[in-house]
Amino acid sequence: MTRLALPLIAVVLVAAVLGVQLAAGGGHYVPLRPANPCEPRPVPPIPPQLEPLAEQIVLLGLDGAACRLGISRERLVLSLAESRALNPRQSAALKAGLSDAVDRLDREGRLPKVSQLLPQALDQANVPAIVKTIINAIPDSFIDNLLPTAPLLRQTVDGLDIDRLLRELDDPGKLDSALQSAILQAALRQIVDRLRP
Amino acid sequence: MGQGSDLMETDRSDQPGSRLTARTATVVVLSLGVAVVLGDAGVVTLALPEILRDFGAQVWGVAWVLIAFNLVLALVAVPAARLCVRGDPAVATAGGVIGFAAATTVCAVAPSLGMLIAARAAQAAGGALVIVGSLELLVAAIGVERAGVRRWAVAGVAGAALGPVVGGLLTSAFSWRAIFVAQIPIVLLALPAAITLRGRVVQRRRPTLETSPDRPHLLANLALALLSAALTAALFLLVLLLVDGWSRSPAVAAVAVTAVPVAALAAGPVFRGVRAGTRSEAVAGSVLIAGGLTGLALLPGAALVWTLAPQILIGLGLGLSVDSLTAAALRDRIPRALHGGWTIAARHAGVVVGLVILTPIFTADLRHAQTPAEEAIASLVLDAPLPASTKLDLAEQLGRRLSAEQGRVPDLRPAFNALRVPETQAPAVATLERGLNDQFKRAATRAFRTSFLVAAGLALLALGPALTLRDRYRS
Repeated sequence: MTRLALPLIAVVLVAAVLGVQLAAGGGHYVPLRPANPCEPRPVPPIPPQLEPLAEQIVLLGLDGAACRLGISRERLVLSLAESRALNPRQSAALKAGLSDAVDRLDREGRLPKVSQLLPQALDQANVPAIVKTIINAIPDSFIDNLLPTAPLLRQTVDGLDIDRLLRELDDPGKLDSALQSAILQAALRQIVDRLRP
Repeated sequence: MGQGSDLMETDRSDQPGSRLTARTATVVVLSLGVAVVLGDAGVVTLALPEILRDFGAQVWGVAWVLIAFNLVLALVAVPAARLCVRGDPAVATAGGVIGFAAATTVCAVAPSLGMLIAARAAQAAGGALVIVGSLELLVAAIGVERAGVRRWAVAGVAGAALGPVVGGLLTSAFSWRAIFVAQIPIVLLALPAAITLRGRVVQRRRPTLETSPDRPHLLANLALALLSAALTAALFLLVLLLVDGWSRSPAVAAVAVTAVPVAALAAGPVFRGVRAGTRSEAVAGSVLIAGGLTGLALLPGAALVWTLAPQILIGLGLGLSVDSLTAAALRDRIPRALHGGWTIAARHAGVVVGLVILTPIFTADLRHAQTPAEEAIASLVLDAPLPASTKLDLAEQLGRRLSAEQGRVPDLRPAFNALRVPETQAPAVATLERGLNDQFKRAATRAFRTSFLVAAGLALLALGPALTLRDRYRS
């Protein structure tokens, strides 16, 4: 028995240490695994401002694109950041993903009205003061009736030059300008469609 | 077999009391010499990143600073022991001390990596003579074979375990060159001690030269080699994890890994009441080392405190098994220096094998860890409660840092310091920075897991030869 005492003490000490470590999460101390992009991710409340809305659409759009491409959202972002160019499959997946994101937010009633987004958009837009004054004078109900948010955003997504946006990611000025231009053109197209008899 | 110990035993009863102090001093300086030389096996572990920077070398080239010493020591230990057997071990030791000190001086001033590696090889050649010669000299100085062998083995264990710690502290306080400067006066202290013992060992051993040498204790040496290969992971990979994976300073890492030598030295007193012989000690030691390495593979966090218990297991196992196996390999075998040489050759061949097996595993795992780490970071940045513009700025800065570090664990502080955000976003930015650092630590810790488990497997393999040993203390 004495001969076994030391090996037995060793086994007990090892079991105690490993037991404590496993109970504390040893073996699971690994990097965060990316979520499955095909499973809907919970969406936080979106303030009625352009940047948070655009960000949420982009995040959900990346999920949709990654799901279509069969990779994680994170892998897609890293590959886009690395190559700064899109192949046709990626481009189509991104556009489809962004459209899906708009649809989901619309279905869930999370899209703010255009009248809520307009003041901030006008502040950032490079338009003459007189134009801003005129637009501000238009009643909110008229604007929201003329420009429902979901169709406006869908048209914006359709008109986006995603390749260009990707190239200009490092230049916030150019990126804002490209986005504003896409929104403005979509708004104009929608207004023209509405006013057309 | 069997006559060697009797012939070499010295009667201490006739030694004058006034010589006790001189004898103690001789034993101390010879033990220090052994500890310094064996400590050299891992002393540069924590200095490797600084050496890499100084010489602008490749990682594999710098690893040779470590490998060259252990490889040459493994190859030269037995021939050096034969030299000691044929001549006077005191002369061989003195020659080894001079050679080691000269080579160490060259290491300290080496102008190139090639010169440093060559000097490290020369250090090992001189060091081999110091180690095997000191075995005979310690037995002669102490006068009792078992006590002399034990002192030699304990000095070796202490040196091997403390080497990385002392090297890390000297590198942090001064530079990697200080590691070599500090060794020179310590090892030179052994020179007068060796000269004093000139002629004493030869007279006691010469009759045994008529007999053919005993065969080396294959199983004890095999167990020593396997445990040394496993301990490479504890002493080499752990410091790499702390410094490169967890971004701890070499000084902090050095202090953190003191748990191994402290536990190794405490093993004797801790288990005194239950020590039952070579086999049970070697088996228990192998189990403790394998368990400790498994503990390092299953760390639940990147706090230093989590490494303590596994390190203590490893240290206790080291203290129990290595001196016990060394004693088993030397017991009743002559010439003693030759068998001491075999134990050194086995241990350092084990270190080289450990490095050769484990280095490709953990470097490949570190490379593979990059993808999950990048994805985890991308996930945290994308989901951070920050404006998109801040995230884009941060992503650009982080991309630069990752490119600059070329696959190594990056320091993210410059990326966050360069970020200009309003006061209201500062808490979210701080949380994100902590989260990203945590992800890198998780990835690095995960990358070392397989290496630690393989090392644990090597320690478990040592159970095979350990179980075949006899519990000689009891019989």
